[in-house]
Amino acid sequence: MKITPKQSALSLYEALEEKSAGQIKAVIKKFVELLARDNMLGASDKIIVQFVKIWHEKQGLVEAEAISANGLSQANIKLLENYIIKLAGAKTVSLNEKIDKNILGGVVIRYGDKILDASLKTQLEELKEKMVK
Amino acid sequence: MSTKDFIIEQLKEQIADFKMSAKQETVGRVIEIGDGIARIEGLDQVMMSEMLEFKTAKGAIFGVALNLEEDRVGAIILGDYLGIKQGDEVKCLNKILQVPAGDGIIGRVVNPLGEPLDGKGEIAAAKYYPVEKIAPGVIARESVKQPVQTGIKVIDAIIPIGRGQRELIIGDRQIGKSAIAIDTIINQKGQNMKCIYVAIGQKESKVAGLVAKLEQAGALDYTTVVLAGASDPASLLYIAPYAGTALAEYFLDKGQDVLIVYDDLSKHAAAYREISLLLRRPPGREAYPGDVFYLHSRLLERACKLSAEYGGGSITALPIIETQAGDMSAYIPTNVISITDGQIYLMPELFYQGSRPAVDAGLSVSRVGSSAQIKAMKKVAGKMKLEAAQFRELAAFAQFGSELDKDTKAKLERGRRLQEIFKQGQYSPVPVANQILIFFSLINGLADDVPVDRISDFELGLYKYASASGAKILKEIAEKKDLSEKLETEMKGLINDYKNGLEYLIK
Repeated sequence: MKITPKQSALSLYEALEEKSAGQIKAVIKKFVELLARDNMLGASDKIIVQFVKIWHEKQGLVEAEAISANGLSQANIKLLENYIIKLAGAKTVSLNEKIDKNILGGVVIRYGDKILDASLKTQLEELKEKMVK
Repeated sequence: MSTKDFIIEQLKEQIADFKMSAKQETVGRVIEIGDGIARIEGLDQVMMSEMLEFKTAKGAIFGVALNLEEDRVGAIILGDYLGIKQGDEVKCLNKILQVPAGDGIIGRVVNPLGEPLDGKGEIAAAKYYPVEKIAPGVIARESVKQPVQTGIKVIDAIIPIGRGQRELIIGDRQIGKSAIAIDTIINQKGQNMKCIYVAIGQKESKVAGLVAKLEQAGALDYTTVVLAGASDPASLLYIAPYAGTALAEYFLDKGQDVLIVYDDLSKHAAAYREISLLLRRPPGREAYPGDVFYLHSRLLERACKLSAEYGGGSITALPIIETQAGDMSAYIPTNVISITDGQIYLMPELFYQGSRPAVDAGLSVSRVGSSAQIKAMKKVAGKMKLEAAQFRELAAFAQFGSELDKDTKAKLERGRRLQEIFKQGQYSPVPVANQILIFFSLINGLADDVPVDRISDFELGLYKYASASGAKILKEIAEKKDLSEKLETEMKGLINDYKNGLEYLIK
């Protein structure tokens, strides 16, 4: 059976758990040797992507993106981070800020596959649709 | 002035009522697109056959998730997939595919998503019905007991259909499969029946002609046409019969009787095969996927007769299957034959001999319909089935040209007249009382002195005569639905009176 990048990444993560820095080096060397033996070095990019995902998931870390029209204040960012922690059930959040004038106002939060659209643009569109009806 | 104030007041109200809310949504991205199929990355929590919304520059396009794989989702696109680009955002809508249903759809032509195609304006939806639904269970059902009068003599007599039955119409191309279904729809006028005609992969010119015909016959007052044309994508063809059934279930839930025609399921199977192959599901026999049986069984199982506690409504299904050169043992025909409660088999030889509808009385069966036949029809038709069967045997035997005894000759003569009576033009359904009258005259030997080539004149004349001077008798047959001895003598008298005025009888 073919081993998917996700499976390889998961087994690497499990092999690395509770290992010291010195041991980690040895484990990774062995892992790469295994990949070479199984002709899977080509899939290494995908394995790295999957590994980052699994790492974040296991450590309770969520990468989120907040898009706003005019930038957010520090207090608001703090509030948003706390909100995302509650929403996603994560321990820590790394929030990237982005500015997009097109959304007019409000904020769009994006983490993982989820999106929370509280932008003024979307709400105006919804209002328009409702009025047309 | 007052109107302006009113508008502003309304506007203010609307804005005040409008709640600012942001919902959490699941999104993914298109990684591959083509042939009506999209592969999507993300969409973590997506459900099987959940509706998806593709955001494109031209607006939203809907899709349905069909393949849930480890790290991607395969979806069919309902509509024009050319507007979707790689990397476009896809949103889960958290609901299963639904169609709007309501009384407003009667008399309309809609696509499988419930959008109007006839240019008669928007359709007001009373409710939304899921396209896929599990059929009613044993508890809710009841055995078939009321008849569907098709108005086609050979079917009503020999292969009767009951309300809630699934009767397959099967035959080669161009030998009148759709004609039977359309005649049946036309004959439902005043029979307390809603009709839905689902056209799957049909030429739109044919459907346009058919809608015009229905309108002309006044059948659009109770009929809806669901159209997925030959130029529509396979995804629309695939959902069309399910969408049609969802519309039928709206009327079923109101306790009404519905007749639904799927024209035709072979094209439906081919559309599903296309989708399955594009989604890279493994092909099986004739390249159909493994679940092609379930495809049709779950559809036809939704035809039902509900018991009185559950509203007492019914859905009668008339699926149509097109065979290739009369091959009934191909994959899809055998599947659907085994699912349905009988089939009407149309034979090319009969069609070209001019005996239309070309129903083969030997290969056609109705497994439950006879319990739904009205008593009067049962009395006359029971003997006729025997006559037809005997005639077929004797006719084959008589071809050898040997001397025949009197009894055999009489049977042959009777059989020829029966065959003539079974002939019927398109768009001319016969009311059940008239059918009983003509069958009655045949089995009682009253048509024996009519020349075979004048039988159709005899028949038409009899209907005319009966409506003029025997209206009371026809009414009694239609209302009592049984033949008493007194009524039978009256019928004999009527037919003999009519024959007294004829010149072409054999002396």
